[in-house]
Amino acid sequence: MSKNYKKEALAGFFMALPTIIGLIILNFYPLCRTVYMSFFQSGSFGKWKFVGLDNYTKMFQSSGFWKVTGNTLLFMVYTVPVTVIGGLLIAVLLDQKIKGKTVFRAIYFLPMVVAPAAVAMVWKWLFNTDFGIVNLTLKALHLPSGINWISDPKTALLACALVTIWSSVGYDAILLLSGLQGISRTYYEAARIDGASSFQQFKKITLPLVSPTLFFVLIMRIMASIKVFDIVYMMIEKTNPAIRSCETILYNFYQETFVKNNKGYGASMVVWCVILISIITLIQFIGQKKWVTYDV
Amino acid sequence: MKGKKARIALGMAICLSASALAGCGAKEGNTEGGSTPESSSAVSGSGTASEGKPVKLTMLGWEIYQQAGMEALAEAYHEEHPNVTIEVQISTWSEYWTKLEAMANSGSLPDIFWMHTNEFSKYADAGMLAELTDLYDEEDKDYFKNNFPDNLVGNFTYDDKIYGIPKDVDTVALVYNKDIFDEAGVAYPDDTWTWDTLVEVSETIKEKTGKYGMLADDTEQEGWLNTIYQAGGFYISEDKTKAGFEDEGTKKGLKEYIGWQTEHDFSPNQKEFSDLGRVERFVAGEGAMMNLGSWGINNLYINYPDLNWDVAVLPKCPDPVKGDGRASISNGLAYATAADNPNLDVVKDVLKFLGTKEAAVIHGENGAAIPAFNNTGDSWANNYEGKNVKAYVDQLEYSVQFPYSKSKSAWYPEVEATLLEVYSGNLDLDKACEQCQQVVDENLAAE
Repeated sequence: MSKNYKKEALAGFFMALPTIIGLIILNFYPLCRTVYMSFFQSGSFGKWKFVGLDNYTKMFQSSGFWKVTGNTLLFMVYTVPVTVIGGLLIAVLLDQKIKGKTVFRAIYFLPMVVAPAAVAMVWKWLFNTDFGIVNLTLKALHLPSGINWISDPKTALLACALVTIWSSVGYDAILLLSGLQGISRTYYEAARIDGASSFQQFKKITLPLVSPTLFFVLIMRIMASIKVFDIVYMMIEKTNPAIRSCETILYNFYQETFVKNNKGYGASMVVWCVILISIITLIQFIGQKKWVTYDV
Repeated sequence: MKGKKARIALGMAICLSASALAGCGAKEGNTEGGSTPESSSAVSGSGTASEGKPVKLTMLGWEIYQQAGMEALAEAYHEEHPNVTIEVQISTWSEYWTKLEAMANSGSLPDIFWMHTNEFSKYADAGMLAELTDLYDEEDKDYFKNNFPDNLVGNFTYDDKIYGIPKDVDTVALVYNKDIFDEAGVAYPDDTWTWDTLVEVSETIKEKTGKYGMLADDTEQEGWLNTIYQAGGFYISEDKTKAGFEDEGTKKGLKEYIGWQTEHDFSPNQKEFSDLGRVERFVAGEGAMMNLGSWGINNLYINYPDLNWDVAVLPKCPDPVKGDGRASISNGLAYATAADNPNLDVVKDVLKFLGTKEAAVIHGENGAAIPAFNNTGDSWANNYEGKNVKAYVDQLEYSVQFPYSKSKSAWYPEVEATLLEVYSGNLDLDKACEQCQQVVDENLAAE
């Protein structure tokens, strides 16, 4: 190893140091601490009792826990495919030569910039049974209206999913757009000369070449959907009769930790959330070999 | 290239150290305000704070409509003790306890903070609160007993030691919209009303005006707890060892209150209440009556001057299992301070002032809430010209202390969720009571 290389490596390390310190303090330490806490029963003001795996056995035996895990997975099924495919579609459209392209990009990205709490508050009114614009539009179109969007157990989770899709599809589109723009135009020119239709171009050129970005977006989106909390917390009040069908893992974690003050049990719940995300991500990393193209 | 890197690294280092410095600065700023141990010993001794170094204290509460009252109290104290200034901070109920607990854990509790029965024993048990039992010993050994209702002092007594100065008391009453009653041509509610009158009138109103008669949403303190006690039932036993869900009176009270929503069509159902709450519907003129705690009156009085509303006592149970059918759930707050407060002497003197009749009247006259001090309720009720707000004060006579226990924060969410299932028709009341009984009993046993 040359002297020069060592010097460069050292400079690089120092430059990364602030981030490393930040990660250790803000991510790594809390992670270890949470795992540690999950083996304790919490008392008020830091009085803790070691209980081993009790929190976990209690958790896996409770029916409410499987219900919230099911709700979370259902939420994932509702949001991920629509967001990712929709995001790809929007990205392809934004990649075309159209007038006011930058304006459209800004518009699609805008929901991402708005605070989730504000988004939830506004959508809550849009979904209002009597005065909400959603039901009024349905009525004007002579479709079934008068739906209790956020208080009917059948539609409440779906309503939350719709809001999440709305607010995240633009972000995914922008990420995918950057992937699309990395594809050399010469491929398309060559394909056109060979007489490929636009659908063939999309299938044979765009899709394989954007697949690494698509894979990244998919992983991030699944993680985000399993970690959903803010939208549900803001939209569904605790006296809402649909609450049981909307509680997600993190919502339940919030209830246990900050409302019922079972901080140890709450910690075991987050650990479960991490495990669940790890399993799903692992499956994806195995599956990616089949469809993600890295070498061109 | 190398020069550039070095410059970036240098820049980052500067940023880092600058932020570290800023952190230190903020910390110093926080502890400013005379919390140095010296300043408290300088004014200790006689227990008064009329002389000595300037002291800045903070008071934290959760009700925005009480800000004026709290500031008036702070001002009154400041006039007598110019060196002490009290800054009033108001949080919200939903954030208050998370915030207070974080403050307690980091040893930075506000100098004076409001305490609620739901959380009191947790703080007292952990030794967080300063004992105030002998605060008035110089004047009167039985000061608390002589000047405050027993239940309010009892609420903030733990192991026979008093940890809070009773601040206020509240009750629940029936608030009604006079215009809707006139429109339907029925007489206003009065103290002769029973549950049956309420149902009958609500049905008439719904029939004649199309508006809701009674807005009976799923709520504990302002809702079904009242009918439970009116019917002669109980929520948890007085020694806090057993839940009362299997009691006949409890079931009767729950059945009646939940039935106002599920058995009749004069109230919106729980789904509809999720879109728009009880108070919002009332002020929009959609409903003729609702139960409302005395703390909610300021909102109506200040924000809706055009609304033609008034107050009546709660209707009584016509055929209670036991008792006379009258009850109104009542609770009280207290002022407390931390056991390790660095200015304890000054703070105690402020608390001493807050427990006087003079402070109670200032508290009441500024519309904060019904003062806890005996016979000062009218100072509050007189604020609301032309409204029979005195009904709240009158109900103190037969009011029932809002039940609580140490583990309430653990069992109440379960009860709430179970009863919600009854409201949505997924569970019948008997089963729900069985489940509630079990979960509350388990928690009470573990206390």
